[in-house]
Amino acid sequence: MHTADTFDLAVLGSGPGGYTAAFRAADLGLKVCLIERYPTLGGVCLNVGCIPSKALLHAARVIEETREMRAHGIDFGEPKIDLAQLGGWKDKVVGQLTHGLSGLAKKRKVQVITGIGRFESPHELSVLNDHSEERVRFQQAIIAAGSQAATLPDLPEDPRIFDSTGALLLNTIPPRMLVIGGGIIGLEMATVYLAMGSKVSIVEMAPELMPGADADLVKPLAKRLGAQCDGVYLGTRVTNVDAHERELKVSFEGDQAPADGAYDAVLVAVGRSPNGHNINAEAAGVTVDEQGFIVVDSQQRTYQPHIFAIGDIVGQPMLAHKATHEGKVAAEVAAGLKSGFEARVIPSVAYTDPEVAWVGMTQTEAKEQGIEFQKGVFPWVASGRALALARSEGFTRLLFDPVTQQIIGGGIVGPNAGDLIAEVGLAIEMNCVAQDVGLTVHPHPTLSETIALAAEAFEGTITDLYLPRKT
Amino acid sequence: MSDAQDILVPDIGDFDNVDVIEVLVAPGDKVEVESPLITLESDKATMDVPSPVAGTVTEVRIAVGDQVSQGRLVAKVEAATPASEATAPIEEAPKSTADSAPRPEPSVPEKPDPAPLVAPSPPPSLPPAIESDDGSLPHASPAVRRFARELGADLSKISGTGTHGRILKDDVTAFIKSALSQGTTGTQGAFGLPAVPDVDFSRWGPVETQPLSRIKRISGRHLQRAWLNVPHVTHHDEADITELEAFRKTLKNEKVYAEVRITLLGFVIRALASAMKAFPIINASLAPDGENLIFKRYFHVGVAVDTENGLVVPVLRNVDTKGILELAGELGELSARAREGKLKPQEMQGGCISISSLGGIGGTSFTPIVNSPEVAILGVTRAQMKPRWDGNAFAPRLMLPLDLSYDHRVVDGAEAARVSAFIVSALEDSRRLLL
Repeated sequence: MHTADTFDLAVLGSGPGGYTAAFRAADLGLKVCLIERYPTLGGVCLNVGCIPSKALLHAARVIEETREMRAHGIDFGEPKIDLAQLGGWKDKVVGQLTHGLSGLAKKRKVQVITGIGRFESPHELSVLNDHSEERVRFQQAIIAAGSQAATLPDLPEDPRIFDSTGALLLNTIPPRMLVIGGGIIGLEMATVYLAMGSKVSIVEMAPELMPGADADLVKPLAKRLGAQCDGVYLGTRVTNVDAHERELKVSFEGDQAPADGAYDAVLVAVGRSPNGHNINAEAAGVTVDEQGFIVVDSQQRTYQPHIFAIGDIVGQPMLAHKATHEGKVAAEVAAGLKSGFEARVIPSVAYTDPEVAWVGMTQTEAKEQGIEFQKGVFPWVASGRALALARSEGFTRLLFDPVTQQIIGGGIVGPNAGDLIAEVGLAIEMNCVAQDVGLTVHPHPTLSETIALAAEAFEGTITDLYLPRKT
Repeated sequence: MSDAQDILVPDIGDFDNVDVIEVLVAPGDKVEVESPLITLESDKATMDVPSPVAGTVTEVRIAVGDQVSQGRLVAKVEAATPASEATAPIEEAPKSTADSAPRPEPSVPEKPDPAPLVAPSPPPSLPPAIESDDGSLPHASPAVRRFARELGADLSKISGTGTHGRILKDDVTAFIKSALSQGTTGTQGAFGLPAVPDVDFSRWGPVETQPLSRIKRISGRHLQRAWLNVPHVTHHDEADITELEAFRKTLKNEKVYAEVRITLLGFVIRALASAMKAFPIINASLAPDGENLIFKRYFHVGVAVDTENGLVVPVLRNVDTKGILELAGELGELSARAREGKLKPQEMQGGCISISSLGGIGGTSFTPIVNSPEVAILGVTRAQMKPRWDGNAFAPRLMLPLDLSYDHRVVDGAEAARVSAFIVSALEDSRRLLL
């Protein structure tokens, strides 16, 4: 063990939040170290989350599109999938990004320290790796230690039972696969494996898929999955998994519980839990709640004013784009700037097929909280571009404050919904009223038009639909 | 056997963080009840904190230069008599001592902390909430919100000039500028004024630098604030007090009134009290929002007293209920204590209007500065014999110059003239003082 330098700022965890914070702080003149347990930077998102899953979802999308075109005169035949090559490409994408991060860190003179970081005192961390234990002294710190996949108790130890990280390895294409958890991660993985040719079943405890999203927004996806999957069991939980030599026997209970089923693989995607209990935060005087979350103020400060926390570890939603913004705020405050996390909305996206995206107030939230709203809806069946993509099941819906006409929320389901939702986020942050969006000329024919048309539908100025007059 | 008692800073009026300018005791000293322990300097006055018990000082917990508020521990005194017979009950420290609880500054410890468990400090101070009072979010884009945060501007107080009332960057800038020029923080009222040049006077001859007196230092800030913030107008008038003076002089020979020196100022205060009743506008203050007037239903008059160290303004209370004799007596007593520097801070608070009398010194008129947030001040200079046209001829009359300065935001010129005329007629015919 040897004692390392004292840093102005130590950042614990190099996910999107952590590396953003480290780089921003370095750009603001602080002497920064970035502590990462794995040999590559980027955290879950780059290595075993958002990015590799998007590569595989792209592959899945290509497969599905070729299949769809059969009905329209082009038949490629069944795809031949070389798993090793596909996996290699995915790894290359990841490698390109993580390598890029190392380069960015080097250019900024951010010292990357590899190993498991734990607090030893309010101003000291220990970093343990295979070779050594280092001590890192710091004036200020940012905790960006993220979250890990939640587990279910009583599941047998078996390589055929894995979480999202395992699913992204894509070692095999199991003939029969059960996805436990109908949230965003479970459904994205189901989308990948369905396209690869697995027979997929989904079991979800809640009475609907993707809890938190408006049910009608999820409906087109649920319909498609219902047709593609062997089974979608809602309001149902897994009571037991027996690992047999040839298959996994699973029993269920609940509203739509099927008889015991046999599967070749089980993906556990039941959410993520924060890593607050794994960093010895108590030694730094940082309070961690029972679930492992760290409480922060709008400047990302913990109860220990010189220690900040950002990203999954400070609470829902556990999203990379929330973490990066929080990371910037923490770095700027640490460098003495007057920043604060003041974003009003954080978009959510499921990169399923079709994609589901929403931002701001959902219809369900508005009803629960008794908030008055009016909506403008544009069904994609009236969009030339959606029809030309052979995907007309989607719709775009905006929610408005009936008094001010300001946009308070929006939801989109359909291909590229995740890209489209950004405009709605900007409109909310800019306090746009319906006219602001409707009067902005959108390019034709694009899916982005559907947002302007939804605003027009609310205003009653739309001509692409015939809507009975508001009385 | 006896216990050491905690001596706390007593009620010193609405003052916080008052400077300790003298510590009069040391451990081991014997003190009597009412023996001064320390001297505090508040607005324009010094004040001794007396010991509530007799005994021996065991500990002194305050040093010169400390700033103290009510409830702060001054010293411990071991009572000479059993504690149960202590003459004054010991007050509990007020609960609101959160500020005085020291919070460790984050710093790098010299050595790794062997016992690193740090009790979580109270929740970090939260930056200003972006939500306005009614819970609605201010209508401003992210860049404008960040800009406002950097400047410390409260968006909920800014009205936007953009489409649909959107707050633009310029609106934030304008808000800050106007906040600065309104001097909401006090002495910054003159923001933007060119500074007085720094001149080396010794180039032209020998000079000597002496510290400004304590009272002048404090009152200077207040005067500058008032003078820069209040649009002043001064109305000049004269009262014929020939008969009033004759009457006053006869009183001196009457035994009943001999004990108190009945000054002319007593009559002026009485006249002013009547004027305050007749014209509530001069007994008002502008609300901090600048959009409301606060009318006071009590009648306290501050009287500027010239002392060796500077000007102080003790306040005569409920002047509307007091006769001239009583007013004159009280004024004499307050002035005497003012000159000794023994006024309590409470005795200099709560005035509704002020009088500044240059008495017998001389002069024909001056322009007193309104003691803001009061809205008027009455200046009095020496009465002089002047020829006055009585309709047939010039007659020698004793004329008292009166100068009424007022805050023109609150008081109109015509109103001020009426107030002034009212006071003049009350002094010219003292029967009116009975009304």
